[in-house]
Amino acid sequence: MSVTSTAVSLNEDQRDCYQELTNVAMGQAADRLARLLDVYVVLPIPKVNLIESSDLHMAIQDAETDSAMSAVCQGFIGSGIAGEALLLFNDTSFSDLAALMNYGGELDRYGELELLMDVSSLLIGACIQGIGEQLEIHFNQGHPVVLGQHCKVDDILKSGNHQWTKTLAIEIHYTIEHVNIDCDLLLLFTEDSVAKLNNKINYLLD
Amino acid sequence: MATNVLICDDSSFARKQMARAIPKEWEVDIHFAGDGVEGVQAIREGKGEVVFLDLTMPNMDGYGVLETIRKEDLPAMVIVVSGDIQPDAQDRVRKLGAMAFIKKPIDADKAREVLTEYGILTGA
Repeated sequence: MSVTSTAVSLNEDQRDCYQELTNVAMGQAADRLARLLDVYVVLPIPKVNLIESSDLHMAIQDAETDSAMSAVCQGFIGSGIAGEALLLFNDTSFSDLAALMNYGGELDRYGELELLMDVSSLLIGACIQGIGEQLEIHFNQGHPVVLGQHCKVDDILKSGNHQWTKTLAIEIHYTIEHVNIDCDLLLLFTEDSVAKLNNKINYLLD
Repeated sequence: MATNVLICDDSSFARKQMARAIPKEWEVDIHFAGDGVEGVQAIREGKGEVVFLDLTMPNMDGYGVLETIRKEDLPAMVIVVSGDIQPDAQDRVRKLGAMAFIKKPIDADKAREVLTEYGILTGA
């Protein structure tokens, strides 16, 4: 068998399938957040794109790029498929989040960090596991890493040291009804993982 | 006579999954719609005696479809099939007149159970 380097690609059926798998996973994540905060989480249609890592900021269509953000990233790996989840949290969301979480402490950098970690572990964990379940992959998650607090999106993305060139990017923009909370969850799969993921997807599409 | 069943979902993958979950012995004509606007049109044409309805869709979402069915008093029994499993979502669709709620990914046994429970699938 000869080894050929096939270009990573994504056809319309595959894109649709990723979108639907994400739809189910983000619904599970939203359900957990809704029960924790006693709110209704507005669910968008997730965006799925195969992009150059250098164009990552283009994948973030819904985030308000001018406002100050805080971000957490967390790696995941399983069955030879690896990626990173990136949660971009709008800084204006913290006061409402603190109120909903009955956070008693002072809302300084550390208080915000605590809230950010709570929300990101819940949303990232549920989303990753939700996608994994549907594809019969168990993903192990790495430690969450804070990429920055009170930064601009462009600066946060610059700090990511991605070794791969192409990435499958799935973007989910969560908002919560009646309160000012919005955040962007990005799932980025490595270039090497996309072929394996596509195989799994093709099996579902058969 | 075969029942007109409408599967309304923006994902072709989800439509296929749903079509596969319909019990084999149930005599149906299956119709498809890719968003809420198409869905309402199909229901007006009588193609949706039983509707499997997604919630998150472009153009018109599932809530919009339920509101239109109610406003125009269209003859459709709606089973919502959605990934949005928040308690609030389930409450809202029931208040808007949906008969049942099934969470995604759709499972054939669950579909059969719901159809039997509401007397849509009889005998067998």
